[in-house]
Amino acid sequence: MRYFLLGPLALTVALFQVAAGPYFPLLGATANPLLVLLMCWAMVRGPRETMVLIPLAAVFKDLITNDPVGVSLLALLPIVPLAAVRERHLTQSEFLPIVVVVVVASLCYHLVYMVVLTFLGEDVPWLQSPLRVLLPAALFDAVLTPLFYLPLRGATTLLESRTGLRAVG
Amino acid sequence: MRTIVWLLAAAFLALVTILLSQKGALDPLRNVALTVVSPLERGVRNAAEPVADLLDRLAERQDLEEENRQLRQQIEELRAEIAGLREQQSLSQELQELLKVQESRPGDKFLVARVITKDPSNLKERLAIDRGREDGVAEGMVVMSSGGSLVGKVSSVLDDFAWVTLITDPNSSVNAMVMESRTQGVVSGTLHGGLRMELLPQEAEVQPGNTVATSGLGGNFPDALLIGEVVSVQGSPQDIFKKAEVEPAAALSRLENVLVMTSFEPPRLDSTP
Repeated sequence: MRYFLLGPLALTVALFQVAAGPYFPLLGATANPLLVLLMCWAMVRGPRETMVLIPLAAVFKDLITNDPVGVSLLALLPIVPLAAVRERHLTQSEFLPIVVVVVVASLCYHLVYMVVLTFLGEDVPWLQSPLRVLLPAALFDAVLTPLFYLPLRGATTLLESRTGLRAVG
Repeated sequence: MRTIVWLLAAAFLALVTILLSQKGALDPLRNVALTVVSPLERGVRNAAEPVADLLDRLAERQDLEEENRQLRQQIEELRAEIAGLREQQSLSQELQELLKVQESRPGDKFLVARVITKDPSNLKERLAIDRGREDGVAEGMVVMSSGGSLVGKVSSVLDDFAWVTLITDPNSSVNAMVMESRTQGVVSGTLHGGLRMELLPQEAEVQPGNTVATSGLGGNFPDALLIGEVVSVQGSPQDIFKKAEVEPAAALSRLENVLVMTSFEPPRLDSTP
């Protein structure tokens, strides 16, 4: 049942990213709210649900852009192993590790994306991209993180407390 | 273990779809997806554009303020330049008119003078010009407008400036003549900046619209200088003389340049016996 809610949410975010993203650049780079949503989701609720959402949203995004279909799926895959950080409890704060993994996931996304494009024979500006694409995009994604994390954390906490009350009752 | 399997499967799926996509096998699917999504995409884009514009404007506000300040300064400079050019154009037109006056009186010599100020008193009708003794201006010289009509005469002279008493000054009196009937009288100034022609004989035919010019009597003014036009005639049959209100021909309140007739000097009446 939850996938009927999560699926459209991910698709909507992908649609907004494609349609509205180019209008809101930061330091010349556009954000990847789909990646931020999925990373936050995997960190707050565990990677299991994202394992369903990632292929769905990634393929949808590629279908409505000029990217080769599948490249976003490949680039978003690091989200799942990165979500293992949540099990380690490196800090007391949940938010800080999420920002870090969002930055890492963003860097991985672009690196994978660039590798795929290079293999497909496209010219990729490898030398310029770290400063012009990778870092600004990672920064932008980090800035977006609270926008997805806070509602997700709130909704998850609410759901967990209700479930707990039912179990006690 | 399950995660690894998933990762491998997903990576495999991604690679397959990339290959299929490169061969164009997924183009029909793309087409369907875009057909379904494009209206939504357009709606989102239409909604995003104004928001993005607003954010851009907010971000550029400081630049716009600076640009605005510079543009205002440019406007001010251009306005000043335009005002200067208009002034020059106006001066040029006036000088052309003055030249015509000069041509109409080839026997006389004129000096062009600029009006620099007016007497602020309500009781006097005088103005200052930027020509004085060093320019050859002397007391009693006749001053004319750029159109050739009488303005007044020089009443006091400084080295570089001179004061001109206008014909509308209450202390001014000019021997004049109604041109149509050759009737002679005296034109004096009134307190309201107007002119009154007095000492007109009762039987004289003076009508509104008649032209009044200097008569030359007394030698204070040359003859046939236009003074103005009769507006109204007053006087009852039992009066000895009639009076006429005269409208000055020169726009005395808006004078900018005048001509000083340097070739005409009134005779000096020395007090020596």
